[in-house]
Amino acid sequence: MTIMEPRKHGDASDGTVGGRQTRFEGNLKVTGGATYALEYPVEGLAYAILVQSTIPAGSVVSVDAKKALAAAGVLMVLTPDDDMGLLVASDWGGNRPENQPYYPLPRQVQYNGQSIAAVVAESREQAVEAARLICITYEKAPHVASFNDTAAGEGKVMDNLTSGWGDAEAALAAAPVQIEGEYSTPREYHVAMEPHGLTVKWDGDQITVWEPSQWSHGMARSYSEWFGIPYENVRLISPFIGGGFGSKGAALAHGAVAAFAARKLGRPVKLALTRPQNFTNYGGRAATRQTIKIGATEDGVLQAIVHRGASETSTYADWPEQTGAATPILYRIENFSSQHRVVPVNTVTPGALRGPGKNPSAFGIESAMEELAYKLGMDPLELRLKNYADRDYQSGKPWSTRRLREALIEGAAAFGWSKRSHEPRSMRDGNQLVGWGIGCGTFPVIQAPSEAMIRILRNGRVEVVSGAIDMGQGTYTILAQTAAEVFGIPVDQVEVHLGDSRLPGSAIAGGSMLAGSILGAVHKAATAARDELIGLALNDEKSPLRDTGANTLTFSGGRIAVPRDRGPSLTLSELMAALGRDEIEIRRNTLPEGATVQEQHQAWTTMAKVQGPTMGEYSMHSWCAHFAEVRVDEDFGTVRVSRIVSAFDCGRLYNPRLVESQWRGGIIMGIGQALLEEGLVDQRNGRTVNNNMGDYLVPTNADVPHIEVISVGIPDYGASALGGKGVGEVGIVGVAPAIANAVFHATGKRVRDLPITLEKLI
Amino acid sequence: MTRTIHLSLDINGRRYDLDVEPRVTLLDALREHLALTGTKKGCDQGQCGACTCHVDGSRVLSCLTLAAQVEGRQITTIEGIAAENGELHPVQAAFVEHDAFQCGYCTPGQIMSAVACIREGHAGSDEEIREYMSGNLCRCGAYNSIVAAVREAAEMA
Repeated sequence: MTIMEPRKHGDASDGTVGGRQTRFEGNLKVTGGATYALEYPVEGLAYAILVQSTIPAGSVVSVDAKKALAAAGVLMVLTPDDDMGLLVASDWGGNRPENQPYYPLPRQVQYNGQSIAAVVAESREQAVEAARLICITYEKAPHVASFNDTAAGEGKVMDNLTSGWGDAEAALAAAPVQIEGEYSTPREYHVAMEPHGLTVKWDGDQITVWEPSQWSHGMARSYSEWFGIPYENVRLISPFIGGGFGSKGAALAHGAVAAFAARKLGRPVKLALTRPQNFTNYGGRAATRQTIKIGATEDGVLQAIVHRGASETSTYADWPEQTGAATPILYRIENFSSQHRVVPVNTVTPGALRGPGKNPSAFGIESAMEELAYKLGMDPLELRLKNYADRDYQSGKPWSTRRLREALIEGAAAFGWSKRSHEPRSMRDGNQLVGWGIGCGTFPVIQAPSEAMIRILRNGRVEVVSGAIDMGQGTYTILAQTAAEVFGIPVDQVEVHLGDSRLPGSAIAGGSMLAGSILGAVHKAATAARDELIGLALNDEKSPLRDTGANTLTFSGGRIAVPRDRGPSLTLSELMAALGRDEIEIRRNTLPEGATVQEQHQAWTTMAKVQGPTMGEYSMHSWCAHFAEVRVDEDFGTVRVSRIVSAFDCGRLYNPRLVESQWRGGIIMGIGQALLEEGLVDQRNGRTVNNNMGDYLVPTNADVPHIEVISVGIPDYGASALGGKGVGEVGIVGVAPAIANAVFHATGKRVRDLPITLEKLI
Repeated sequence: MTRTIHLSLDINGRRYDLDVEPRVTLLDALREHLALTGTKKGCDQGQCGACTCHVDGSRVLSCLTLAAQVEGRQITTIEGIAAENGELHPVQAAFVEHDAFQCGYCTPGQIMSAVACIREGHAGSDEEIREYMSGNLCRCGAYNSIVAAVREAAEMA
């Protein structure tokens, strides 16, 4: 991809790391020139449509496809009767059962909305029509629609999520002030604007998959394992992706179906899921509930926290939405106990959605902290500062950097918190009750290795090449800035190639781990390429810089020169021409020296090499404090968010313009979570009732006020090579409790289950 | 149903001839038959606004419009609003400058809505812009920047 001329130029430093460079691929996106997965021109396409189950549990007795097969244009119908000969692929960690068959269109139905048949036709319209003609006979089995179903039971304890220290129960019992609350969050969905789907084409035993992906290498691995072909035979292409938020990190059943259909038909297949099908082809955030008990002294010093949580999972996999993820690390706490259960129900296995774990966890603890503040008659800001955690009490390790105090203080100042009147219902504007609330958030620094390639071309252009993904976080831009800085050239002299499993491997665009990881690799490769060029320039007999006596060279203002010297200076293209070189290509990764090819493959295609926040000497996290103002109509109970100020510690920001956009995006998703978003399940049949964008409400432009975001971070070189911590996930964490707390302040009503809809307030 | 009809569509000032089934939407005609993929499919149900185009200057949801309905009318898509020399339309330029998008998938629809919103005279205040841009969802949450971009482009218009 080549950058086009941006309209305005800011400061020259915009193009270096930390600058406010406009989005590198911006012109492609505003002109319709960015090509997403279903938009590649492929000759001879056939179109596939999925048919999903309409019962929540049981088995498929028969599929009558006669009418569908007789319909115009229909090429093929796939059902559970078709043995596709596929094998189960590895899980996230790279673990794989041996020779276990994989049935992407299974006979056993485990949830309503499971893919069980597919129709392939000459046109999309014909496939849609024929899909309606498929007649399925089921044998129903008893089902559990949700974890509120009496048949759901208590579920099972996740031992790896049980933690505790001190004597929480005793300290709680002895505490003079105690509060207890049960907090719950519903099923929530990613609703990325680009639906799932793919185009797939075989050439012999080579397969090309155009599919939106948060992880090109990891998903390519799944295709190779399903079909029993070498990894090198798979090429997954995803240079642009229309939003992911956690939903596009794994290859899914519909991908296997499309690839099988394409192989069987001997022609390329495009499979697009309908918007409703997107709600069950991959799981959103699991519904959660948690009980929090806090004991404190009368002057507000925390004595104990006891936390018990649960989340829904499917009947075939344990996916915990960790309600105890933020609870142990936000405050100084000597006595702590936490346990999390998963409750199997007939749903698709839930998945990671922005701020997984930390998000519902923060809703619990940050609501509970304000409940404690009101019980004590204490300013919630003062209570938080009073119990500020000087270290990580869970791991016992010191923080790498933690500027949550600064976030609270600077956020409060910008918000005007000191003008607050403490009593609920004490601030109003006409018939609107006005309320203010705080919610803190956190997300761990997750580290992963990555690889990148730098090419210096004879024309003086520098290419950055990586399989990493840009789904809107700004990967293109910050990689261009990194290379531009290392070579002292303008950003528009850099080209960035991303989103292809044939390119060097990279961390997933998820868990806020990509930027820190891939920037480290690109910086390392670019620095090595520059060193190589310096070596050639100082030693090659054809170089004009050879006899300068210098032992290094400077790269600045687009020219290469001897330090502090008025001697010759050359552009990159002049130097490459003088050296007679067409190209200098350097590939580097951030794995330990001497990693084998096998270890490299494992690193790029599994999570096996990923490191958590406390695996080193420090405990490393991003932090934030949100301040929300709501206005509640006294008569109707309608809640509007009228103002938000949020202060963040995400370490060094590689591009503040893009970071601010991501923070605001997370906050807006948090507004949706607080007030609008709720997957509704029909208890009779386990169906997701509101499986579309008109009934599953996400925030619109009119729902969102101006959001002020503030950075209070400092570089954290323990967290990443260039000093940043994650920015994408943390923005949503703490928003919902800030709004719930503001609603309490406005109305005196504590809403403990999201979303806060008007019937809960009147 | 396999019957096709012949259509001659005026898109971005150019004539396109195609043979499609009568049930093909304008959105699918653009994306699947004419390789004009700048117009996006987000929901195919008229709920998200990603497919917004102009027909005779007014915004329409192309997923709820049959291709056959717009014969003889002027259709404008995201590919048709920059100048001939490639210079961006002021709304496009303002979107880049204000970082009014992240993933970019809702962006063509947002921009087509914004161009019409300004032309309709509905960009007089931030509140008005928010209201008249609310038919276009953005899950990345670029709303603040979209409002800023529309305001700036409206001031220049």
